[in-house]
Amino acid sequence: MKKLTLITILLVSVVTMAQETNENSDTSYKKRVLETPEVEFLSSYYTQDGDNASVTGGIGTEKLTDITPTIVITYPLNDDDVLTVDVGISAYTSASSSNVDPFDSSGASSGEDDDDDDDDDEGLRNNYANNVTGSPWVESSGASAGDVWANLSVTYSHSSDDRNKIWSAHASVSSEYDYFSIGFGGSYTHLFNEKNSEISISGQAYIDNWLPKYPTELDTYVEVDGNLNSGFFQGITIWDQNGNSTEGNELSTWSPVNGFELIKDKGRNTYSVSGSFSQIINKKAQFSIFFDLVKQDGWLANPMQRVYFGDRDNYYIGNPESIPNYTSSTNKNVFHLADDLERLPDSRFKIPIGARFNYYLNEVVSLRTYYRYYFDDWGLSAHTANIEIPIKISDKFTLYPSYRYYSQTAVDYFAPYEQNLSTQEFYTSDYDLSEFDAHQYGFGISYTDIFTKMNIWKLHLKSIDLRFNQYERSTGLKASIISGAFKFIIQ
Amino acid sequence: MKKLLLALFVVVSLNSCVAVKEYEKVNINDPDMKLAEYSVDRFKTNFQIYREGASGGNGGKAGGGCGCN
Repeated sequence: MKKLTLITILLVSVVTMAQETNENSDTSYKKRVLETPEVEFLSSYYTQDGDNASVTGGIGTEKLTDITPTIVITYPLNDDDVLTVDVGISAYTSASSSNVDPFDSSGASSGEDDDDDDDDDEGLRNNYANNVTGSPWVESSGASAGDVWANLSVTYSHSSDDRNKIWSAHASVSSEYDYFSIGFGGSYTHLFNEKNSEISISGQAYIDNWLPKYPTELDTYVEVDGNLNSGFFQGITIWDQNGNSTEGNELSTWSPVNGFELIKDKGRNTYSVSGSFSQIINKKAQFSIFFDLVKQDGWLANPMQRVYFGDRDNYYIGNPESIPNYTSSTNKNVFHLADDLERLPDSRFKIPIGARFNYYLNEVVSLRTYYRYYFDDWGLSAHTANIEIPIKISDKFTLYPSYRYYSQTAVDYFAPYEQNLSTQEFYTSDYDLSEFDAHQYGFGISYTDIFTKMNIWKLHLKSIDLRFNQYERSTGLKASIISGAFKFIIQ
Repeated sequence: MKKLLLALFVVVSLNSCVAVKEYEKVNINDPDMKLAEYSVDRFKTNFQIYREGASGGNGGKAGGGCGCN
């Protein structure tokens, strides 16, 4: 075996040396890295739905829509340097996060019944103290029901005269109503073997901060110092599992888990180092291999997400008659008071490694493949495989059928609704961290005009890309996304 | 025998990695041969990062951001 290893190393050295003799042989002509400024308008429309909302402890509607207009401007500063500015927003409405406050008066809390029996409705309302209800299956209209995430990213890159070395640096800032992030990083890329081989290394850091929003009942519990006869709880009846009022018997009514407290450390930092190697194999094939080393620390749980323990009594606000059907989507008017927030370790180490292989089959068909293996120290491991087959149907139009398979194991701290225990140190009912597999089917079309004949003012159309993807997860979550990109050169 | 075949495979693979000249890269330089995601796919990658426990290894960001929804 040692001999084989030695032979292999020797062969690699010989091949590399032979190829490096030709390095820097093409520096006589210096082409601009980017000939003209470019602007790209991108956007997407995303929808999803499922029955495992993490904000309501692993059950409830996951309905969400998201629209993301984005502009990317790429500007050549000179022959060697390029500046890229990327500005985007993401405007979403989310049933799940709206239920941070499920008791909002204009949403689920209106005491609406889903039948048409007015007399029955009136009778039910009389049973709800103060008519306050909620449900994990109904979208509330609280402050968290919708928001805008905004992002600005600036990247500067410099290429050496022979175009074999590329340095870049970037900085970004993003903000949404409960989160603020600042990121920065840099990369170095080296091409050799007559630009047949490429090594790249990069580092990134994100210094983030929560502006935490908590489930209403937990936040208020702290605010009123556990007094359920004041603040939000004043005059509201809390029901036990059997639908009996706990009013007047404070000792046996609801409270969060022993020692409950809101989050202390609002920071969340991410540091990553990435490396990749790519190689042209022959005139029709090339591959790359890559890895990331990612370290996160700080508050890695989401303070909006509830957890319910199987070893604690259950208490509700709303219609006690709906308690037996709590986990059914027919429940429109009763809400289970949380035992705690999601709690997760304050550090996580993640390693994705993978490869791409692209093959130019002929003038019509190419093959694009991707594989990634991922593992982390929370016990999650995952496989991702993707195949895309671009098919040129004319000199301007290309079709993009694609398929992606993904599977993951659960983190060590995951359990479904009511299956975590209060004796555990860490727990979550976030189904994004559960065991599942997912299939994604995609189709796209692109239009490319290398002569950029069509123009609007100084913007000359270079390409249009449209994509549709349907995503289906074994947990029942279904999502679809339509994306579009319009690229122009500025002349 | 398996080791021998593996070594043979490595040798054949290395031999096939003869440098392709710039003027021979017309196929390799096809936009669809790029060893990276298309820009239009950035949103798809974003939602995958939010909806799945694994992330990174795709040229996109490997951290930062909330992913709350």
